[in-house]
Amino acid sequence: MRGLLTRLCCIGVVSLSLFSCDRPAPDSSSSFRVALITPGSIADAAWNSGAYAGLLRIRDSLGASVSHVEALTPAAQEEALRSYAAQGFDIIFANGFEFQEPAERVARTYPDAVFVVNSGSRAAGKVIPLVFRIEEATYLAGMVAGGLSRSGIIGFVGGVELPPVRRGERGWTNGARAVNPAIASRVTYLNNWEDAASGREAALALLRLGADMLHHNADAAALGAFQAVKETEGAYIFGANADQSSLAPDRVVGSAVIDLAHAFLLVAREVRGGTLRSEAKSFGLAGDVLRFVPNPRLAGVVPAALSARVRAAADSIASGRLDPLRGEEPGP
Amino acid sequence: MTDGIELLAGFLAAAVRVATPLLLAATGETISERGGVINLGIEGSMLAGALAAAIGSSAGGPWSGLAAALIAGATLAAVFALVSVHAGADQIIAGTAITLGAVGLTGAVYRAYYGTAGAGLSIPTLAPVEVPVLAEIPLLGAALFAQPLTTYFAVALVPATWWYLFRTRGGLALRAAGESADGARAAGVRVRATRTLAVVAGGALAGLAGATLVLAQVGTFSERMTAGRGFIAIAIVVLGRWHPGGVLVAALFFGAATALQFVFQASGTAVPYQLFLMLPYVLALLGLAGAVGRVRAPRDLGRPERAS
Repeated sequence: MRGLLTRLCCIGVVSLSLFSCDRPAPDSSSSFRVALITPGSIADAAWNSGAYAGLLRIRDSLGASVSHVEALTPAAQEEALRSYAAQGFDIIFANGFEFQEPAERVARTYPDAVFVVNSGSRAAGKVIPLVFRIEEATYLAGMVAGGLSRSGIIGFVGGVELPPVRRGERGWTNGARAVNPAIASRVTYLNNWEDAASGREAALALLRLGADMLHHNADAAALGAFQAVKETEGAYIFGANADQSSLAPDRVVGSAVIDLAHAFLLVAREVRGGTLRSEAKSFGLAGDVLRFVPNPRLAGVVPAALSARVRAAADSIASGRLDPLRGEEPGP
Repeated sequence: MTDGIELLAGFLAAAVRVATPLLLAATGETISERGGVINLGIEGSMLAGALAAAIGSSAGGPWSGLAAALIAGATLAAVFALVSVHAGADQIIAGTAITLGAVGLTGAVYRAYYGTAGAGLSIPTLAPVEVPVLAEIPLLGAALFAQPLTTYFAVALVPATWWYLFRTRGGLALRAAGESADGARAAGVRVRATRTLAVVAGGALAGLAGATLVLAQVGTFSERMTAGRGFIAIAIVVLGRWHPGGVLVAALFFGAATALQFVFQASGTAVPYQLFLMLPYVLALLGLAGAVGRVRAPRDLGRPERAS
């Protein structure tokens, strides 16, 4: 009897932890239902928190009833997709490149739901990828870093080496090289999104070896990188995915921002209006979803000539004359 | 030349930083395993300690954070002891359940307390304390003897644990409970009470290890931030052969390998970074393989005491 009780206890604790759910104000009266699945905590002050803000904006602007769940492992992610589709949700936002294939598998069984894969790779029926050309914003961050670096070394801390993360790093490096062709760009990957202590060690190692400008795409693990920059004299950091100036107001020069909430709302409107087509929705500097946001408190640090060059490059990228992944010299 | 020494000093300081939480957790697990209980829940205790340290420090400064972390780590370990030592449940399953439960629980509490915006970098942290004289040693002194108090405590705990385990009656009773629960009971040792205390002490130290991450390193909490350090600590106990001194060496070794990994990546070589990420684990595996045959776990490790 006692053994059985213990076992039940264990099972209870395990199942409690597999899905930590937030169901913000479930409103069954609304017929428009939208779900979000994140691969990590929505308290990461970056990628997942932006998606959650998007979900809430859809609720507030369109009166949708919304639901959110975190799913960390591939098995849990596919199960979460299946579960929401079976419950008849109209749109299921899946926050990450890793959801592309599971979404395609699940979509075959549930043809009515729209699956929106953030940073997905291809459109397939009602599986719609949102492509954020983050490299366009990180290119601008890189230009500022390349212009400000005294050591000629810049560093990037990546979470997991996914294609969007790599693209962001390429943009950052190419932008810095456009300003200073001799710049050395160092890259460290952590292989996770949560280990903030490792993020700090990675950043400290980069700073020790001479880097003075850092950038990241490591979600919550990057908090450690911000801490490392705060502790190191003369070091600066650039935020990613959200405006992160407030994390270290005297050390964050600017952020490559994706306004996920805005993108979510645009897509949700199209779904509700029945105008969504089966194609990748790509966002760059040309729209108002992607931006490089300077930290106003450090505006004095960036020389006016450099700021002007960055603005010119932003125009070139937005009009398609400059490819941040190829890294041509921005026109004067 | 000076650059070389500076880099070496920075590397050593990083090795000590990485090793500190591992050493605290592994020393606690050594005590627990010497008593015959393998506690996979220390990963959960560590995570709970990290969150408790964040909340405690936000509310009442770093010392409150340390106290809260000790209590949180010990509390989870007490639940584990209740289930495994007293109810006789399988220790591996119970420990895993505690760790998984702690992941969900800390996430929920973190968001309830700080909201989805998170804690930012606003949590008060422990300032490094310089050891008089030793910190004056050129270059290396500042790297090794200007550490947060938790580091000195972790190192001081090593001889203290050794003395307790091998030079006191209490330590003898604990080891007897780990080698042979039946024999120990026949000799008058209260096996369950002894094991429970050992597990709770181990959990408290794991909680302190989590507090180190928050209060002495990152200055914030992030969900799942322990990232498997509890499990690495368990491997370090084996690598250190259930001996406090061996555990110290193994923790420093793992800390050095991890610090080296970051230096390699940051120096921008063409070698794939995955190889560097593997480095600490490969070295640990080699160490474990080298230890096979010459090392023996406490004989009753993992076995609940049978009621008679």
